[in-house]
Amino acid sequence: MNLRLALVALCTVGVVAGHWLVFDFAPIEARMGVVQKIFYFHVPSAMACYAGFIACCIGSLAYLWSRKGRWDALALAGAELGLIFGLIVLVTGPLWARPAWGVWWKWEPRLTSMALLVLMFAAYWVLHTFGGTGEGVRRFAAALAVFATPNIYFVHVAVEKWKGMHPEIEDKAGSGLSPDMRIAFLASMAALMLLFALLLEQRYRMHLHARLVGALRRRIHRLGGDV
Amino acid sequence: MNFAETLALVWRKDMRIELRSKDTLVTLVLFALVMTMVFTFGFANDPQTNLRVFPSVLWANVLFCGTLGVGRTFAREARDGAFTALVLSPAHRGAILAAKTLVNLFLTLVVTALTTPILAVMLRVDLSDVAGLISAQLFLGAAGFALVGTPLAVMAVNARFAEVLLPMVVFPLVAPVLIAGVTGTASILGTIPEQDPRPWFQLMIGFDLVYLVGGQFLFDRMVTE
Repeated sequence: MNLRLALVALCTVGVVAGHWLVFDFAPIEARMGVVQKIFYFHVPSAMACYAGFIACCIGSLAYLWSRKGRWDALALAGAELGLIFGLIVLVTGPLWARPAWGVWWKWEPRLTSMALLVLMFAAYWVLHTFGGTGEGVRRFAAALAVFATPNIYFVHVAVEKWKGMHPEIEDKAGSGLSPDMRIAFLASMAALMLLFALLLEQRYRMHLHARLVGALRRRIHRLGGDV
Repeated sequence: MNFAETLALVWRKDMRIELRSKDTLVTLVLFALVMTMVFTFGFANDPQTNLRVFPSVLWANVLFCGTLGVGRTFAREARDGAFTALVLSPAHRGAILAAKTLVNLFLTLVVTALTTPILAVMLRVDLSDVAGLISAQLFLGAAGFALVGTPLAVMAVNARFAEVLLPMVVFPLVAPVLIAGVTGTASILGTIPEQDPRPWFQLMIGFDLVYLVGGQFLFDRMVTE
């Protein structure tokens, strides 16, 4: 309990400090101007998004094999967080692309893959949330998440080849960071990953408790009680 | 009963029911024709535009018909506990999946074979020189679709809103096949600068193989009694 409190405090400090570093400490990029600051949120969000989907895949795989509900809870929590951070990526991306590339959206490999990835896990989430509560649905959703994993590779290859035919200007946002920018970026990344881990744990426990409450309720109902 | 026997048995059962009622096949063909008309109304223009939109229309047709067909895979088993009986039987589940996949592939191929020439005629695209290549591509694409869609169609048995959820689940998963199909067909027809369709064939073959193995691997674990 104390460890969690300490981590929450650390995360709060980290997020605040990260914002200060991003907006005050890091210099304004010469070519793109203040818009480049989006990068400090965009890239860590993408990392958190991937981490969430990886958690979902691992949880689903373990659930299919062990059939223990807690793995399913982890998978669902991972998918939820992956989706939230994925949405942040898909919103901040166009915000950056408009001034940098002159268009809101471009069928660029990374963008397209990310959009498809988010769609796949959105399907998982919708299925898990609205498909019903039976074990069949959970098992099916888990299989879907595992099924989607090799697809990440195929989507990547297909989209890359598809757009590889029309050479695009690659964005070099990540490569040419000055030392001050690098500090701000790393701080932002650390703060966001910590936030992700805390939220994941929280959601995971919430799902576990929700299931426990559901089971208790059913038991009371069976015994003729009223809830 | 070994794998091949179970496969043959389930295939024969499904094909017999289908050939007696012909409901799925007739519905799919009619649906494909309607789609063809809709696309033709939407696009039919000068020959140049037609040639450009042909790959997209062709593959959209495969996608829509495939989804409709796949959604019907377990429709007959969904009633009267037939699916439970099928799963509880000592039959190899992978063989059941394989048979169902083959039935889906067969139906999609029949529908595609019937509608592609009609589509070509309506959009005035000459396919006579490239029929072999396009057929191979359609086969690989339809196979990819059936391999991904069939195991997921089990959802119809135990999830609510399955008829809405299934396309939502399947479309993003078959996106690589769709991209490979549309771009590959375009490169065969010569409407894009890149004229070599081979990488797209490779991608489709790889996709089909992964989901052939993956489906067999997962299906046993994803169905509940």
